[in-house]
Amino acid sequence: MPSVSRVARLTSGAVLGVDAQLIDVQCDISGGLPAFHIVGLPEKEVSESRERIRSAIKNSGYSFPTGRITANLAPADVRKVGVGFDLPIALSILLSSGQIPPLTRRWMFVGELSLSGDLCGIPGVLALAMTAAGQSVDGLVVPMENADEAAMIDRTPVYAASTLTDVAVLVSNPAGAVAHAVDRRAWLDDGSPRPSSGFDCIRGQMQAKRALEISAAGGHNLVMTGPPGAGKSMLARCLPGLLPPLSMDEALETARIYSIAGLLDRAHPMVTRRPFRAPHHTISYAGMVGGGHGVPGPGEISLAHHGVLFLDELPEFDRRVLETLRQPLEDRSILISRAGMGVRYPASFTLVGAMNPCPCGFLGDAQKACTCTLLDIQRYRRRLSGPLLDRVDLFVDVPRVPVDDLFSRRKAEAAESVAARVQRARATQWKRYEGWAGVYANAGLQGDALHEFCRLSAEAETLVKRAVARFHLSARAYVRVLRVARTIADLDHSANIHETHLAEAVQYRAHSIHDE
Amino acid sequence: MVMSGNEAEERACEILRKLGYEIVARNWRCRYGEVDIVARDGDQLVFVEVKARSNRSFGGPEAAVGRVKQRKILATAGQFLSQTQCCLPVRFDVVAFVKETPTVVRDAFRGDA
Repeated sequence: MPSVSRVARLTSGAVLGVDAQLIDVQCDISGGLPAFHIVGLPEKEVSESRERIRSAIKNSGYSFPTGRITANLAPADVRKVGVGFDLPIALSILLSSGQIPPLTRRWMFVGELSLSGDLCGIPGVLALAMTAAGQSVDGLVVPMENADEAAMIDRTPVYAASTLTDVAVLVSNPAGAVAHAVDRRAWLDDGSPRPSSGFDCIRGQMQAKRALEISAAGGHNLVMTGPPGAGKSMLARCLPGLLPPLSMDEALETARIYSIAGLLDRAHPMVTRRPFRAPHHTISYAGMVGGGHGVPGPGEISLAHHGVLFLDELPEFDRRVLETLRQPLEDRSILISRAGMGVRYPASFTLVGAMNPCPCGFLGDAQKACTCTLLDIQRYRRRLSGPLLDRVDLFVDVPRVPVDDLFSRRKAEAAESVAARVQRARATQWKRYEGWAGVYANAGLQGDALHEFCRLSAEAETLVKRAVARFHLSARAYVRVLRVARTIADLDHSANIHETHLAEAVQYRAHSIHDE
Repeated sequence: MVMSGNEAEERACEILRKLGYEIVARNWRCRYGEVDIVARDGDQLVFVEVKARSNRSFGGPEAAVGRVKQRKILATAGQFLSQTQCCLPVRFDVVAFVKETPTVVRDAFRGDA
């Protein structure tokens, strides 16, 4: 008796971490006992898709072919996760059994199928669209829910479909297909006011507000120390608003992480504001840096990419969790290695920590006495390791606001004018550090770059020598003072670092936490 | 009165022929079990199980082809394929009689579910 063998091929994509890769989906239907196998390192959810595909095909009015069906996802050594393979596998079966005509273009298909044949949205579409744009793909076919997100990458035409039948119609008649388009600029700038509005409402706390400004201008990590209720959290929340608006590239980078985490708003699938992440101090190691079963997902540090990671009650965090921050603070990304795979997530964020000066919170308070013993205080502060604090440039005291300040009617400087100053300082730095790999702002200055860009005037040098002697500054603390002084000078439009800049910078050293 | 097995199979063959099936073998048996009818429908090879019951009170005869029976038929079909070197896609049908009324259930089960 004759043998019957028909092989169909089409393109899909797999998301691994923030990166996606094209996957070749092949389907062969041969004679013999009925069987349906999916091979090519599928994870559980991909293997399970067999039942969804079977029902979806039947309920869309097609017949599920008899015989031995083998779907192969190539390359076979890449782990296939997620539900996006439902649509390409179902289509390959329809192609292979001749129920739809052969494809005339190189489409890329992703989408989850419901039993009734409807297409459901999947996470990570932005990453898939970015990959499609870099390859010779004629069109990206996605579920309707993901259409806006995919269309943010405007280099590949995006076609939206609601059902399996829609897709079959689309590929049978490519000439009649209408690409989905969005206005990218309009999406990014949705016209809502910047969330810095709280900044001018904060009474007093001039030094802390200035520290926030410096942090925003130079990308410096910041730790605030003060009694409960002084306004540390409120201050931290203002920082994203002081930072320059997200550029399109930054927004897409951050949105890509949110897309994979499934956190993008379906109605407005774009990250338009710098993220502000404030995880609770009970957060686990995996929650902070990323992890989870199967392919590790992004953690808080990656969700804070291009934004602010705020850790309230810093010493209460698990020591191991805090220590994991050291590498990403240095590399601006995190490599999560798990059995057989390593996933790199970007994690470029400004760290803002808040803590009490002692366990009871009132050490150094003018009105309330501290009830902690010296040992308690030492133990509390020892929870923060030196290497972690090394990566923090700014330390600032946030004391209780005096009653007079609280009721003062004097309006503070408008957030807009502070933000404008920050933006100018950032622009100066971008220009200055062009061609210096790894240096993105003053906070990243070290080694040669530090000496190159932090030249001191003669008077400033005398002052800094006096300060080093007077406050017993270590070499590390001295470098920190230089970096901060550089940012203060940039805020002041000064090419050189002058005495006044240095004098201010010295105030932000870590005198209250570490004895330096 | 229930039809005898033979009588039911005879009637089933007639019905299938009318539907365009070409009967290949009857009561094909091997060490794994027996298949009532092996037929060809277009480019598919069909293994048919015939069931007869006098009433529906214990569920339709379709329900009588249980998991164990399905597995037996599958194993037998596998044996048939390897002995005949056949490469056609395979389907499993059930012809069910309730008293005298026949029902043909095409693609009644698949081995992989």
